[in-house]
This record gives sequence, structure tokens and C-alpha cells, in this order.
Amino acid sequence: MAEALVIETANLRKVYGGVEAVRGLNLQVPAASIFALLGRNGAGKTSTIKILLGMSRPTSGHVSVFGLAADSPDASVAIRRRTGFVSEEKDLYDSMTVEQIIRFTATFYPKWRNDLEQGYFRSFGLPRGRRVKDLSRGMRTKLALLLAFSCGAELLVLDEPTSGLDPAATEEVLHALIAHVASQEMTVFLSSHRLSDVDQVADRIAILDRGRAVVSGALDDLREAYRRVQLVFDGDAPEPSFRAPGVVHAERRGRVLSVLCSRDVKQLLDEVRALNAVSVDVMRVTLKEIFLETVNGEN
Amino acid sequence: MLWYKSWLDTRWRFLIPLAILVLNIWGLIFEYPHVATLLRTVHLEPDALSESGVLGRAIVESVAAERTYRGYIWFQWFRQNLSQMGTLFAVLLGSGSLLSGSSGAGTMFTLSLPASRNQWLGARVAVGLGESLVLALIPSLGISLVSPLIGQQYGIADAVVHATCFFAVGSVFFSLAFLLSTVFTDTWRPLLIACGVAVVLSLCESRFDLNGLFRVMSASTYFAAGSIPWIGLLISTVMSAAMLYGASLNVARRDF
Repeated sequence: MAEALVIETANLRKVYGGVEAVRGLNLQVPAASIFALLGRNGAGKTSTIKILLGMSRPTSGHVSVFGLAADSPDASVAIRRRTGFVSEEKDLYDSMTVEQIIRFTATFYPKWRNDLEQGYFRSFGLPRGRRVKDLSRGMRTKLALLLAFSCGAELLVLDEPTSGLDPAATEEVLHALIAHVASQEMTVFLSSHRLSDVDQVADRIAILDRGRAVVSGALDDLREAYRRVQLVFDGDAPEPSFRAPGVVHAERRGRVLSVLCSRDVKQLLDEVRALNAVSVDVMRVTLKEIFLETVNGEN
Repeated sequence: MLWYKSWLDTRWRFLIPLAILVLNIWGLIFEYPHVATLLRTVHLEPDALSESGVLGRAIVESVAAERTYRGYIWFQWFRQNLSQMGTLFAVLLGSGSLLSGSSGAGTMFTLSLPASRNQWLGARVAVGLGESLVLALIPSLGISLVSPLIGQQYGIADAVVHATCFFAVGSVFFSLAFLLSTVFTDTWRPLLIACGVAVVLSLCESRFDLNGLFRVMSASTYFAAGSIPWIGLLISTVMSAAMLYGASLNVARRDF
């Protein structure tokens, strides 16, 4: 049976004043997954999130959330009723107190969870009477998470949830996210350029580069599929040129030729055998390597 | 809760003007005995003054109107102070639409909540116009309440008619500022442009003796002849509605 999709985009494009922020983006986010959108600054992550939440209209293409067209104003309200959102800037109402903004937000969501609100209120140690503008960056993030976690959402959309946080606060936020998702049946769609965060929480990723997805899939599958083949030669390494499918990037440095392959490393190994390298090593790669090589390769 | 947010956004732009207007009308009322005494000693030559241009005509009109308490209140309050300050306050209330950058932090949070842009705008307009109505009505009704303290009477019907005319025309400037706030992302341009438009209209009306918005706002026909400027009120309402509709279209198609 096909997986139920919570988010689906097809050939999604967004142009801002002649600049193409999103270029033919195709995404499929299955229910109950933690999907991370990776990309450098300006890759189109926030533009994509804004389209999903109806803050911005796509120039062309199809976008649906919970099977509803996200570019329809009415459907967009229905989508947001089932979605918790944390913006990159942790944009909240500065003039309200913590208590006021919680009570204010609760009125918008029919499925608001008082039990979760109380629980996170205690565990995050939020000061009830303090104004939002007087909160530290970490506290502000926790408040934004409390609002998103408690609204009874089926989907959490988190735009750079750990940006600007110190390592301790980052850990705390990620643990809270993992614990929340483990206890509630929900889908998480998060954007980040912090690969360690994504590595820790995500089960699926898409790497966005200049508005389009250059890599997409389950993180475990990607880790399994990607391999680095390192060849050492007696003399200078030959000019890289491969027919095998899945070669993402090849780099020659003196006697060493390093090739990143995204699938079917066996076929690549058959090909490199003919190069008569003195040694051939096949290595697993990290998410960071996949990201950097893919993005650099594309550029 | 949409109302609550709109109230939080505008409360100081409402409460401070309300206090200013109440203090102003209080001062005008208690000033009247001195003005009345002074006016009894003033003898003008209306023909000569009228020939001396706009200023002369204004002096003649002012002195003629202020020889009665009703005329004094109309001229000093409805025609001058409320028209001028009230227009500024209406512009202040209209500027900084909820979804513009000028409303400061929180726009992304607002847009992430499950309410449509029109619902947000509707609440903001309703609260702003409600506050504008209170700014017009409360100080004006205060005249009827406080006047007996100096031995004068001022009709509640007069206060309500004048305040309503002020509100209707003030809404035009509120709506203009509101529309401009959906075009510009800063606070100052909508404010300055709307105030500039009001000043130019006022100068044109007085220079060319036109039957314009500010005459409708002060309800001069009602003061002079008891006739309510229905057509002016209708035109003002249509203008406001058109500008608010334009604002909603702007916000509906805007990307954030």
C-alpha cells in the first residue's frame, strides 16, 4: 500500500521579482516521518515553508498539505488549524507576557492540549509573567515550541528551530522535539542547515540547492547508498571520467582520486579497476559529506 | 481573540488621543465665560474684514459664530479642534495595518495562526473604526454633560450629529492610512502621506471655498440650517469602503 503523504509538491516554483527562489521542487513527505529540508542560506527552504503555510503563493506547480491545496486561502486556514509552526526568528508578540500569548494562541486551536501545555510549561521552566521581548533566545525558542507542541497539531513545521542557540540549548530543544514526536503521532517538517541536528532527529531528508531538491530520500537509505571510493595511483591520478551511474562528484588531488557515488558502487568499482590504481578503498560517508559534495557538485 | 490582538496593537493610539480630546473639550467649555465676556467688547467691521481675504473672512465667521454658546462649541470644537486633531488621530489609528511590516514583530506568527487574512483585517478595521467612533462621541457627548456646570446647555442631538459627521469623514482618512499601510512596509510613509492629503484638501477647501470633506466633517450645514449633509456622508462612506476593499485585495495577494 502506498504511504499516506502529508505534504506533496510537484514542479513547485516561486519567483520573487525575477529571482527564482524555488525551481520545480518535488517533495513527498510521508505521514509520521521527521522530514528535514537541508540547504544553504538562500536555497529556498523558508520560501517553501511559507508556501506550505499559505504565507506566500506559488508562481506555478502543485502543493498540497493533508491533501488540501495550500495555495487556496480557505484550505490554508484548515491546514494551519492542524499545523504547529516555529519560525526561524521565533517571531512572537513581544508586548504580550508568556501567559498571555499562551492563552491567546490556545483560542485558535480547537484541539489545544492543556495537559501538554502544563507539562512543557514546567519542563521548559518558562516565566509566566515575563514579557516575550524580555526572554532570552533559548527561552523564546522554548515558548515557540510549547505553542507549536500544545496546539494539537498533526504536523509540525519548524524553520531552523535551533538557529542562534548555544550547544546546550540546542540539545535541550532537540531532545524535547524527539520526546514529543515519540509520544504523539505526528509528522515533522523541519528546515535546517545544521547537519548535526538533522542527523540526530530526521529519518528522511531532501537537500535543496538553488530552489530544487538535488537529493531526497530516507536518511538510512542514503547512508547505505552513498559511498566514497578513494583511488591511489603510482603517479598523478588520471582525469576523472566515469560512465557508471550515480557519480556525484570526483576530485583529483595529486596521486589521489576521490569519487562520491550515490548508488550502485559495484558498477563504479568495475570501471575503476581498469584504471590500475595501487589501492582502492570504499568508505561510508557522513551526511555532512553527502551535503557538501552534492551542493558543491551542483555548483 | 482577533479583536484582543487588534486592541493591544492600537490601544495607546486610542487612549492617549481620547485623553487629549477630553482635556481639550474640558478646557474649551470652561474658557467660554471669558470668551463670551471678551466678545461683548469686540466690534467688527464685517465688510472691510471680508474684503481683506481668507483671514478676514475667517475672523468674521468666527466672531459671528461664537456669539452663542452653540456657535462657540461648533466653531472651536467641531470645526477646528476635533476636525484637525481628530483627523490626525484617525490617521494614526489607521496606519500600521496588522499584517504590514510596520506592525512590528509577530507578523509571521500572526500568519501562522488558523485565521484568514480577511478575518485579521476585518477585526483590525472594526476595532480601529470603533475607537474612532468613541473618539468622536465621548468628548462630544461630554459637552452636553459638562455644559450645565457653567450655566449653559448643549443638545445631545447636536453632539451626536456632529460626532457622526466627524466619524464618517474621519473614516475616510482612517481608510486611506489603512490602505497605504498595505502598500508601504514602514510606519511613516502611510502616516505622512495621509496627513499630507488631509492638509492639502483642507487648504484647497478654505482657499477656493469648496464644499469638501472638511465641511461635511464639521457639519456646517447642520449648524447653520439644521440639514444633515447626507450626500457628503454617503460619499465619505463609499470612499472609505472602496479604500478598505482595496486594502483587503492588497493583503490577499501579498506574499510575506
